[in-house]
Amino acid sequence: MKAVTVETAKIERPAKTKASRFFSTMLQQRYLYLMSIPFVIWVFVFSYLPLWGWTMAFQKFKPAKSFFEQDWVGFDYFKELFHDDTFFQALRNTLAMSVMGLIAGFTIPIILAILLNEVRQQMFKRVVQTISYLPHFVSWVVAAGIISKMLSTDNGVVNEVLVGLHLIHEPIQFMAKGNLFWSIVTASDVWKETGWNTIIYLAAIAGIGPELYEAARVDGASRLQQVWHITLPGIRSTIIILIIISIGHLISIGFEKQFLLGNNLVRDYSQTLDLYALNYGLGMGRYSFGTAINIFNSVVSVILLFAANGIFKKITKESII
Amino acid sequence: MQRKKTTASVLMSVTLLAGLLAGCGSSNNDTSNNEANKSNNSATANSGNTASNDANANKDAAAAEDTSPITFSFFAEDPNPNWNNMQDDVSKELTKKTGVTLDAEFAVGDPAQKVALMATSGEYPDLISAKGDIGKLVDAGAVIDLTDLIDKYAPNIKRVLGDNLARAKYTNADQSIYAIPTWAAVNEQRFVAGGGFELQHRVVKEAGYPEIRTVQDYESVIKSYIEKHPTDENGNKNIGVSLNADDWHMYISVTNPAVSTTGGSDDGEYYIDQTTNEAIYHFRRPEEKEYFRWLNHMNDIGLLDKESFVQKYDQYKSKVATGRVLGLIDQDWDYNDAQQALKTAGKFDETYGHYPVTMSKDIKQADFWPTGFMGGYGISISSTCKDPVRAIKFLDYLASDEFQILNNWGIEGKHYKIEDGKRVVPQEVQDRINNDNTAFTKESGIGFYWNMMVHYGDGAKDESGNYYTKNFPEQLVNGYSDAEKETLAAYKATTWKDLFPKEDEFKVKAYGAAWNIQIPGEDEVSILGTKMKDITWKRIPQAILAKPADFDKIWDEYMADLDKAGVKKMEADYTKYVQDRVALWSGN
Repeated sequence: MKAVTVETAKIERPAKTKASRFFSTMLQQRYLYLMSIPFVIWVFVFSYLPLWGWTMAFQKFKPAKSFFEQDWVGFDYFKELFHDDTFFQALRNTLAMSVMGLIAGFTIPIILAILLNEVRQQMFKRVVQTISYLPHFVSWVVAAGIISKMLSTDNGVVNEVLVGLHLIHEPIQFMAKGNLFWSIVTASDVWKETGWNTIIYLAAIAGIGPELYEAARVDGASRLQQVWHITLPGIRSTIIILIIISIGHLISIGFEKQFLLGNNLVRDYSQTLDLYALNYGLGMGRYSFGTAINIFNSVVSVILLFAANGIFKKITKESII
Repeated sequence: MQRKKTTASVLMSVTLLAGLLAGCGSSNNDTSNNEANKSNNSATANSGNTASNDANANKDAAAAEDTSPITFSFFAEDPNPNWNNMQDDVSKELTKKTGVTLDAEFAVGDPAQKVALMATSGEYPDLISAKGDIGKLVDAGAVIDLTDLIDKYAPNIKRVLGDNLARAKYTNADQSIYAIPTWAAVNEQRFVAGGGFELQHRVVKEAGYPEIRTVQDYESVIKSYIEKHPTDENGNKNIGVSLNADDWHMYISVTNPAVSTTGGSDDGEYYIDQTTNEAIYHFRRPEEKEYFRWLNHMNDIGLLDKESFVQKYDQYKSKVATGRVLGLIDQDWDYNDAQQALKTAGKFDETYGHYPVTMSKDIKQADFWPTGFMGGYGISISSTCKDPVRAIKFLDYLASDEFQILNNWGIEGKHYKIEDGKRVVPQEVQDRINNDNTAFTKESGIGFYWNMMVHYGDGAKDESGNYYTKNFPEQLVNGYSDAEKETLAAYKATTWKDLFPKEDEFKVKAYGAAWNIQIPGEDEVSILGTKMKDITWKRIPQAILAKPADFDKIWDEYMADLDKAGVKKMEADYTKYVQDRVALWSGN
């Protein structure tokens, strides 16, 4: 059976057009296509079908009414959205925290991965790695509890240490200062996720052939030079792919951290777009308004993703699409 | 996921069992089974119970003719941390009587969002207590009009509510009954003062029990105590006053007291003129500015807990449970868990008493301003309920005298006994209630159904001349600790309520209470309300924590923000709702 197919394909190839060649390849690889069908369906059902719900943003949506009974209002909800100061504040907070998170979330794990890679003592390396990725498994609810306890003015560790070292005279109300909120979120994110994010870079580093290092050593390269000229270029493509993907997610940073760490005093700095959608959309039963916010999120995400991809393609010839 | 599976299998087995009992083993389909139950009235299941029904034969007999097992799913907006999945004594008795098992879910976090989600998903539990969010479910057609069901199947509910049933109507335009009012109590005389300002017993004792009537009195006892005892026995700092400002607790502990100290009664976020029924956003009253100025002053002199606006609810509770917080401005139900912990630890002098604190002596603390029967919050039957008739009969049974007593007092012979025709709680049971409340509540289930059932309030008596609830003066005093009794005796009072102005000093409000007027979610009043809330919740903490010199500036900015966000329009629209309510209630 297989032999026959291959043979016919061989014989007829010169006479075939591009399209028919595509079909013959398809026929040839029919089992592969068959195997991928469930996943295509899965993606369609979970990622494309829900897009139908976007129609809600253009209606004055009332639950339990059929699609045809809804009132259509066009872009009313978007107009309302763009006239709301709170929305722009939420947008600013979202972008600020995600950019800070992006910068810290890339540099620190890469540095840690390189440092760990240079450690010769296997035991020490394992212990550091395990300890550093443990917080990843702590839920944000618990983490937020630990963080606010540590930063508390009432016997909080951080304030005790700072006062003990005479760096400050009065305990600082960390959680009540809006201008510190972004940093607190970024720092706790680093604490929680650095170890985990390191794993992927360590794996990438492990994939670099040892002969490159050997050659470099023969040429007299120092440890630092090896890192700069071999390790970093070796994991460059991994870094770029991860950056492009994260840029696509810039605007959807969720709300867990901000919701759990925030309070009314720092609301001007802690309200993210997702929280805004929750409070002013779903929380008030304004489904259409909530949907409008999320459409805005998705559109911005797609634009950012393509922009990042395009830029990296130009500069480094690496891209994901 | 796992949990869902178990629930599903339990449901399945219950259904199967019901099928067997009803004698229609041929079908194991949910709906057809229930149909069968309804029409046949399941001869087999019933005959077994006739005897017991006869034994209880009184006017409650209508309660449960059909006692074949059935499971109703139930969602409540209020948390119930002690809920024991129907394994407590009261629930077991309830299942025995009605055949109903509840698969209950109590909201965690923000219930409004949960209800909104429920409304769109189209998957409703059989019974829903949506409190103020019922509007979302009505809009979605998720709850059914109960008028006819009550009329046909609910003699107890009709008897208990009487004319008050009219106050359950939804709006002027839609006079259906979507929720049976189960929060408001009938014929209620309130005995429990759970609000006002709280002070630890040791603080007033040390000061020699001075009169605590104004914020200055309150401040000075705390001040003098903390000067003498800056730390507790372990060297941790004592805290003057801690506020609970996590999410909606902000209303209870920070913003409502501004109304009560200035002589208003609780009308949610509004202050309502009693003659014109005009509403204003209560923060715009100049009197309240002075209350917040006082809090600002408390912060300035270090008596206000610095973490008041930063701490989460559980941190607040654990702080109170250490006994280091000398004064609270809260409601007893909000800090009760912490107080129970203090009692369990035997620190009775660190528990709290309630004082009618106002800005000055000529203002009356209006906690006991009578509202009449409030209607409002209640329990609803969803449009997808398997068997609305069984559901309404179940709710009707909850309203029966038999069950009200069961819920409030527990099981006769176990949790109370009858001596000389009076219900009495034995000493050993009372000791457990006082000192080991959480475990006792879990086992007994006493009080679990309070907000699910139409009920008589404190001070109402049944046919035997006994009170329906345990909150009557004599019994209340039994629940007081020695420290509490000592303090009360020093103030020549028997209950905390004796310290507060009485109901008859006020005129009954024509609209119940404004906080339970239903506002549709899409209405501009709701949207503006959320905007105002955001501004207020940000500005009030800022104003309190500011340097006293900056207070006026921040307050002016706050008022300007409100104006800019359209507070006047919101007030005007809300006034219309209040006036509508007055018309709806007085029209019958």
